Amino acid sequence: MSHFDEMTALLYLDGQLDASHAEDVKKHVNDCPACAAMLHAIAHEGVWLRDALAADEETIPAQLAGAPERESFPLGWAAAFAFGCGGAYTLWAGLIAPWQAQASEAGFTQGNLLTMLFFSGAFWRGWDAMLTGMGVVAGAILAAVAAWLLRRRWKWLTTAAVVVMGCALVMLATPSPAGAAQVQHGDPDFTLPAGQTVETDLIVFGNYVRIDGDVNGDLITFSQNVTVNGQVKGDVICFARELTVNGAVGGNVRTWSQSLTIEGTVEKNVTDFSRQFVLENKGTVNGSIMGATGDAVLDGTLGGDLLSAAGTMEIQGSLGRNANIRAERLTIGPTAVIAGATKYRGRETPKISPQAKLGSPPEITIEKRGPDYTRFRYYWHRIELWGAAFLFGLAWILLLPAVFFDATNACKKIGRSLGFGVLFLIVTPIIAGIVCITIVGLGIGLATLLLYLIALYSAQIFVGSWVGEMLLGSRYGVGAATARLALGLAVLRVLISLPYAGGWILLFVTILGLGGLILALHKRLRPHATAVAVA
Amino acid sequence: MSTAALAKLLAEVRAGDANAWGELYRQHAAAIFRLCRRVLPTREDAEDATTEIFMKVRQKLGSYDASRPFTAWLYKVASNHCWDLLRRRRIRQDLETGELEDMPLQHPDPSQIERLQTLHSGREVRAGLARLPDRSRMALVLRYYAEMSYDEIAETLGVRRAFVGVLLLRARHQLRDAVAATRAAAPKTLSAGAQS
Repeated sequence: MSHFDEMTALLYLDGQLDASHAEDVKKHVNDCPACAAMLHAIAHEGVWLRDALAADEETIPAQLAGAPERESFPLGWAAAFAFGCGGAYTLWAGLIAPWQAQASEAGFTQGNLLTMLFFSGAFWRGWDAMLTGMGVVAGAILAAVAAWLLRRRWKWLTTAAVVVMGCALVMLATPSPAGAAQVQHGDPDFTLPAGQTVETDLIVFGNYVRIDGDVNGDLITFSQNVTVNGQVKGDVICFARELTVNGAVGGNVRTWSQSLTIEGTVEKNVTDFSRQFVLENKGTVNGSIMGATGDAVLDGTLGGDLLSAAGTMEIQGSLGRNANIRAERLTIGPTAVIAGATKYRGRETPKISPQAKLGSPPEITIEKRGPDYTRFRYYWHRIELWGAAFLFGLAWILLLPAVFFDATNACKKIGRSLGFGVLFLIVTPIIAGIVCITIVGLGIGLATLLLYLIALYSAQIFVGSWVGEMLLGSRYGVGAATARLALGLAVLRVLISLPYAGGWILLFVTILGLGGLILALHKRLRPHATAVAVA
Repeated sequence: MSTAALAKLLAEVRAGDANAWGELYRQHAAAIFRLCRRVLPTREDAEDATTEIFMKVRQKLGSYDASRPFTAWLYKVASNHCWDLLRRRRIRQDLETGELEDMPLQHPDPSQIERLQTLHSGREVRAGLARLPDRSRMALVLRYYAEMSYDEIAETLGVRRAFVGVLLLRARHQLRDAVAATRAAAPKTLSAGAQS
């Protein structure tokens, strides 16, 4: 027999050669030192591997100390769930509800919490205390969760903390560059007197802000009441309870406020998110108006388009181009002029005066309350929603298969996924909102909110895939995963469309899927190689 | 534990005796956890998998054939579960059997293999193992930790029996490279180790 190869040596040692072949190898080894050496090395390597793999250097984790009796009820996760609910209740009962009541007494009568929180609430005197309270509670919840998640990665956590603190110190130590903006803090009010001119941008914080002079740059304000009587050559960007523009704005007006009144002139566009918007008779907007508002009255002149979603909309003035309106109620008065097309979509038939001058017959779509099960469009829309979710899920499968699988798998652990889902559903937007209000963190806050929305939408993907697995089994492969996703999403779509129960099912699916995604991402935080190498 | 004692214990577990189930678990949990730890990427994966495997064991205990060794059956259930977890996390298959068979292997130098065994600790072997492709890592663990036969490995990994040898040999080569790389990546440790 000639020299044998490594494969033959391995098969010989593992007893996989037939008797005659094995005998040949045995004889050859006796006569050939080279092959004997290789056989010895391969055999010894087997022992080496066995010893390395059998090493009992890692004790069994505490949570595996007891035998699982059934699908064990996760007390820890139930506690997390309770903690999340408790945190939410504390926020509501201890902070938000009293604040809302106090605000109501003080004359803030709007019922929409979000509006209060981000618009008028931002300028309430007690905001500092509120911010602190909310921040402490929300931060404590997140910190507790983060600490739990990273409990085995203290080293990594410490390094990250040092890096973040280092960056913060560097930022503090670095002198801030001279910006082309003048920053004013009202005491508590601020007035730019008539005759005075600010050559740069003007950023103002104050209770009452009055601009009688001129601003050659942008005007950015965070105040309760803002009145612009002078001239602003740039944009007016305003977070305020009330904004009144009596003067002239050379750029755009962008506002998030409780009310916006324009009696002067805006050369460009108006972007408005407010509870009440009035374009007075003398007011002129030469660009377009776009926004969402509670009640809107357009009595003045608009040069461009109107694109608006509103509770009620009343048009008495003139519109130079098209009007695209989505509203509960629309009134077009006798003095109204709309040069372009008028499109209306809403639940009530609009009141259009016969004297109103419209460029073309209005296009009116009346929406029924609730879904119209008799229309094909309703079902087609469901199919579209299913298709969009399916394509999104496909992207997850192809781009991040491991995360997709882990998140789907984590959904099976309903207790822990619901626990984390509730926590992150509540805490993430609060934190992001607080970060946004600090302005400095606006980008971070908005990015967080965007990721949050993506995560919320993705939730149905993971739960759908799990539902599909229950129906089709867990066969391996992209095709099987795709089929599971398609069927599971279809089932969810049907369940979510059910009257009354559908909303609750959607909430459940969202929380479960969000929790699953959080758990899956947590898994991915752990370095792959290091984890086993430590063993 | 003697065969008779094990049979008695299993009968008690089947009859619903919680103490017997606890005893069976205590005897085997560490070994199964270690197997999971060797093949799955993270400790948390291994913890979850261990619990899930024992849930399966309890469900399937009725189908256990007492003529076969219990440990072998237990490892079979565990390895099937782990392999299922691993392959469902992948989108691309490992290289097809044919492709792998055609890949040339460098002829080894016995002295280099033995030198590798002398220089590298078990810890480094496990670190190297973690860097192998799933199927290679699984094959080595099934063979050298769970002591499975070629037939059982072929059945678990869903490959032809004749391919198991190729798979194991290929995995050994990959492991040698991975282990050598751990030392190459830490030259100071090597020199310190050589000096000591």
